[in-house]
Amino acid sequence: MTDQQSTQDPIDAYLAGVAIRLHGPRRRRAAVLDELRDGLDHAVREHLARGHSADAAAAAAIDQFGAPRAVADGFAAELATAYARRTIALYLLTGPLVGIWWLLLLRPDPWRFGLIALILAIPVLPLIALAVVTGASTLATTGRLIRWLPETTADRALTATVAVASLAVVGDVVLITMLATTGAPIRPIAGFAVAASVGRITASVLVIMHVTRLRHANR
Amino acid sequence: MVPMRPELLKGHLDALLLAVLEAGPQHGYAIIEAIRTGTNGTLDLPTGTVYPALHRLERAGLIRSDWHTVGGRRRRDYQLTRAGWTALREHRAVWDEFSAAVTALLQVRPRPSTA
Repeated sequence: MTDQQSTQDPIDAYLAGVAIRLHGPRRRRAAVLDELRDGLDHAVREHLARGHSADAAAAAAIDQFGAPRAVADGFAAELATAYARRTIALYLLTGPLVGIWWLLLLRPDPWRFGLIALILAIPVLPLIALAVVTGASTLATTGRLIRWLPETTADRALTATVAVASLAVVGDVVLITMLATTGAPIRPIAGFAVAASVGRITASVLVIMHVTRLRHANR
Repeated sequence: MVPMRPELLKGHLDALLLAVLEAGPQHGYAIIEAIRTGTNGTLDLPTGTVYPALHRLERAGLIRSDWHTVGGRRRRDYQLTRAGWTALREHRAVWDEFSAAVTALLQVRPRPSTA
């Protein structure tokens, strides 16, 4: 045991032990720890009221709450679901900010109408549609609609997150490759489109790596 | 007392948590204690079960939580939503039917005479 640990308040040390085993959005983890601290404070006060010494009351409260690993494991699914929901929501919200530049750049000839003309001009549209359906259905089956729809597990929600991120990467790479191989004159709008896609590819690679780490940590 | 296996709770935890919150807003630790004292200590649920289950119920829109600052500490109180009240009524109806059916089969009956 280090000097720092030996002088640390037992409740603080216990919560630190839980904190290092929690994986997920930072605010959610902070909220979990605040909630646990409040619960532990209540438990300590109860033990003090029963005549325990301060040290014994803290030890009894910690014993009551269980091993840090068991407590952290209990939150793993909820935190993973929270991460998946937040990430998918970000993709759905920011998708149009990337897509608008490509739509302006690759939109079909004004004389050609309809879905086929649009898909021929922007062939990644089916991928985008698949990503939107995957993301939206995951949000629906991990949110309030679980009262009526079958609930998606945390593991499946993470899989859906990786699927959405992968589809975004494939779509962006295809669009950039298309632009690079057409030999069309470079327009400022192309710069915005490529920059937006490169940003999303980078973010998507980080998301996939994060999900891999999250799964490994929750095993 | 016959030991209670944790898997027996499966499917009933939501109903228990909603039932405890029927009395009014409560924080997580008070909910754990209410279940323990309300069942004469039979159900002493672990922290790692109750708090995440509350978060899931909030995600489902059956309860909502509010943060308060009490004595410099942040406290999260949970309370039933309108959908939570409805879900509690449904859980009660299902439980009444289920428990009546199981009791009818499991109740001790006099053994038939073999003579």
